[in-house]
Amino acid sequence: MSKLPVGYLRWALVIALTAIISCVGTWAVLTYTAPTPGPTTPTTIHLKAAWIYVGPIGDYGWTHAHDVGRRYVDALYPWLETYYVESVKEANCPGVIDQLVAQGYTVIFTTSFGFMDATLDAAKKYPNVIFFHCSGYKRWDNMGTYFAEFYQLYYLNGLMAGALTKTGKAGYVAAHPIPEVIRHINAFAIGFAEVAEQRYARGELPNPPEVHVVWIYEWYNPAKAREAAESLITKGCDVLAFTEDSPTVVTVCEEHYKRGEPIYTFAHYSPMYAYGPDVVVSGQLVHWEVIYADIIAKIASGVYTTENLKAVDYWWMLHEGAVELGCNYSMPINPKFEAPLKSVTVVDKLTNETMTVYDLVFLRLEQMKDETPHVQVISGGEITWLTPNVTFDPFMGPLYDQDGNLRVPAGERLGHDELWTMMWFVKWVIGTIPT
Amino acid sequence: MFLPITVRVEKRLEIPPWLRLAVPVCSFLVALALASAVFAFQGLNPLAIYGTTFSRIIGTRIGLSFLVVKAIPLLLCAVGLVMAFRAQVWNIGAEGQLLLGAVAAAGLALFVMPEAPSAVLIPAMFLAGFLAGAAWALVPAVLKAKLNVNEVITTLMMNYIAAKLVEYLIYGPWRGKATWGFPFTDLIPGNAVLPTVPGTGIHYPTLMLALLSSGAVFVLMEKTKLGYEVKVFGGNPELAKAVGMRPAKIIIACMLVSGGLAGLAGVGELAGVHKRLMYPESISAGYGYTAIIVAWLARLNPLACVLTALLMGGLLAAGETMRTSFSIPYASVNVFNGLILLCVVAGEVMLRYKVKLVVRRSVGHEA
Repeated sequence: MSKLPVGYLRWALVIALTAIISCVGTWAVLTYTAPTPGPTTPTTIHLKAAWIYVGPIGDYGWTHAHDVGRRYVDALYPWLETYYVESVKEANCPGVIDQLVAQGYTVIFTTSFGFMDATLDAAKKYPNVIFFHCSGYKRWDNMGTYFAEFYQLYYLNGLMAGALTKTGKAGYVAAHPIPEVIRHINAFAIGFAEVAEQRYARGELPNPPEVHVVWIYEWYNPAKAREAAESLITKGCDVLAFTEDSPTVVTVCEEHYKRGEPIYTFAHYSPMYAYGPDVVVSGQLVHWEVIYADIIAKIASGVYTTENLKAVDYWWMLHEGAVELGCNYSMPINPKFEAPLKSVTVVDKLTNETMTVYDLVFLRLEQMKDETPHVQVISGGEITWLTPNVTFDPFMGPLYDQDGNLRVPAGERLGHDELWTMMWFVKWVIGTIPT
Repeated sequence: MFLPITVRVEKRLEIPPWLRLAVPVCSFLVALALASAVFAFQGLNPLAIYGTTFSRIIGTRIGLSFLVVKAIPLLLCAVGLVMAFRAQVWNIGAEGQLLLGAVAAAGLALFVMPEAPSAVLIPAMFLAGFLAGAAWALVPAVLKAKLNVNEVITTLMMNYIAAKLVEYLIYGPWRGKATWGFPFTDLIPGNAVLPTVPGTGIHYPTLMLALLSSGAVFVLMEKTKLGYEVKVFGGNPELAKAVGMRPAKIIIACMLVSGGLAGLAGVGELAGVHKRLMYPESISAGYGYTAIIVAWLARLNPLACVLTALLMGGLLAAGETMRTSFSIPYASVNVFNGLILLCVVAGEVMLRYKVKLVVRRSVGHEA
C-alpha cells in the first residue's frame, strides 16, 4: 500500500480553492462593466428617493402596496431615481438610513410605525435630507408624515356584511390592539349594525348585530390569521373582515364555501379577488402612489423643503383618491354579490328614504368622496384638525361604547385626534382591548 | 470501484497552529465562492458586491458604527454563554434573559427613579438588568440543578415567556401616555439614555462593559477555583462529583453569570438603541440565538469572543450594506449569511480530523 505524499490533501485543497476563486474572479472581472452614469436628461431636476420597508415586498399586503406606489412614481417621473430596502428590522433602521444617505439619497420614506424614532433621529442628524414617515405622528423641519386611511371603506364593507349575514354575527381578525385597528373595527361595526339592526327589527336575523374580535398580535402571520378566522366561524360568524397582511382569511372563507358553508369576506390592502372569487364581496384598496406622486412633485418643485415639513401631515382618504373601495381595482363590488345586495332594503338614517343596500353603499361612497371630513389648519407651524359639517361620516353620533356610555352625542362627530387615539369599542363589538 | 483510492478520516492527535487560522480563512473563501454563484445568477457582479461591501463597512464611520453596535449585545451574550457551555450547561435562553434586562432597565428609568441623575441611574439600570437577567436564568438553573430538568427546553421556553411578558407590559400597564395608543412605552428620560461615541450609534458604556466582561470571565475561568470546577465539571461531571465538587453550585453559578451578562446586553439595547420598550422582536434581533454561534466560533474562549462578535457584527452589517448598495433581495442576503456560517462551522471538522486519500495497491485489498 503506497500512501500519497504527506500534505497531498492540503495542496489539493489549496489548488482546488485557488481554481474556484480564480475562475469566479476571472469571470467576474471579464463581465464587470463600470456602472454607467444615468441617462442625461435635459432637465436639471434629479431626485434620488429611497424607501425602507418593514416587510418583504412580496407580502401581498402593506409592503407590497407601498412598493406598487414606489414603482408607479419611478415610472411617472423620469428625473426620479428610486431604491428600496425590504425586511428591515427596527433595530437596523438607523444603520440603513445612514447608508442610504451616504449613497446620496436625499428623500427617504420609512414605512413602518416602528421606524418613527429612528427616522426622527435621522432627520435631526441629516438636516439636508427630506424624510417622510408613514403612520406616525412625529414630525421635524425636514420630516413629514403620511397615511392612507381606510375607516370609510371599512364602514362600507360593514354595510354589505350587514346585508349578507344570516346569523347577525360578523367576525374581525385583528392585528394589534392599536387605535388604527380599533377605529377600523368600529367603522366596520357601525356599517354592519346600520343594516343588521333594521333586519333584526324586521325579524330577518336571529339576534341583534354582534361583531366578534380576535387579536392575533401580528401584522403578518398567516397561521394565526387562519386560526382566528376558524375560531370566529365556529362562534357563528358568517362574514369576516380582517387586518392582516396576507390573503389568508380570504383563502379560509373560500375553503368553507367549497364545502358548502358560505362565509363572506373583504380584501385588505391588495386586490384579493383572485384568492376567493366566490367569497370576496368588496374590500379596501390603497393607492399610496397618489400620496407619493404628490410628495415627490412638491419636493421637486420646491414646495417642500428641508425646513417646512413640521406641519406636513397627509391623512388622505376617499376624497383625495388615496383609497379605493373594492376587491379588485375598478371592481367596487364583486358582480356575484350585486343581486343579493340589491335584494335587501334599508332606510337611509339621514333621509328616511328606503333603498337597497347596494344603492346605499354607492350613495355613501359618493357622499364621502365629495367632501373631506377632516381639514387641516396650520398656524405657527402647528397642525390643528377641524371637523367641518359634512353630509356623512361613519363616526357621527349618537354612538355608544360597550358599557352603554354615550361617547358621541347626536349632532356631533369624532375628529382626527379622537380617532387617532381611539381606545374604545362601539357597543356592537364583542371583545376587549387589552390595557 | 474503478479508482484504487480510499478516503480515510482520522482524528488529529494534535492540531498544527497554522491550521487554526488556515481552516476558517479557507472556509470563508469557499463560502464567498459559493455565494458568488447566487449573486451571479441574479446578474450581479460578486466582486463588485464584495469590494463595495467591505470598503463601506471597514472604510466608513457609518459601516464601522453599524458593525460595533451589532457586536455589543452579541459579545455580552456570548461571553455569558461561554461560561455556561464550558460547564456543559446548554443555556439557549440568552434571548429571554436579554429581554428581562431591557424590562428591568425600562422599569427603573420610567417608573422607579426617572428623576435620578445619569451617574446614578445608568449604573442602577445596568445593575438591575444584570439581576433581572440572572433571575430569569435562575429558574431553569435550579430546575436543572435540583431536579435534573433538561435546561435546553426550559431556557428555550423561558424565552417565549419573556417575550409575552414584554408584550403584556407594552400593551397593558406600561403602554405610553405619549404614544397615541401604540404599544410602546414612553421614551425613557434623557438622563437614562446611554452616551454614544459622537457621530456614531456606539453606546460606549455597554461596549466597555462587554469588553470588561470578556476579560473578567477569562480570569474567572482560568484563575479561580470556580473556573477550575466549571472546567472539571464540564469535562467529566462524574469525576467532579467524585472529588467532592457540588454540581448544583456550579450549574447555578454559570447560569447566573450567563443570564446576568445577557441582561446587560438588554440594558444596552434599551437605553442605547431603542430608548423605549417595544415589541420583543424589535428589542432583540435574535441576538441571544446568534450569540450561540459567536460563542462556538470562539471555541468557548471568552477573549476570542471579542473577535468573533466583531466578525458576526461585520457579517450582519455586510447583509444590510449589500441591501442598501445593490438591489439584492433580502432572501439572497440570508443565503449569503447562511453560507458563510455553514462553511465556517463545517470547516471545523477539518481541524479535528485529517482526511487522507490512500492509494491501494490492488482492488479489494483493504476490505
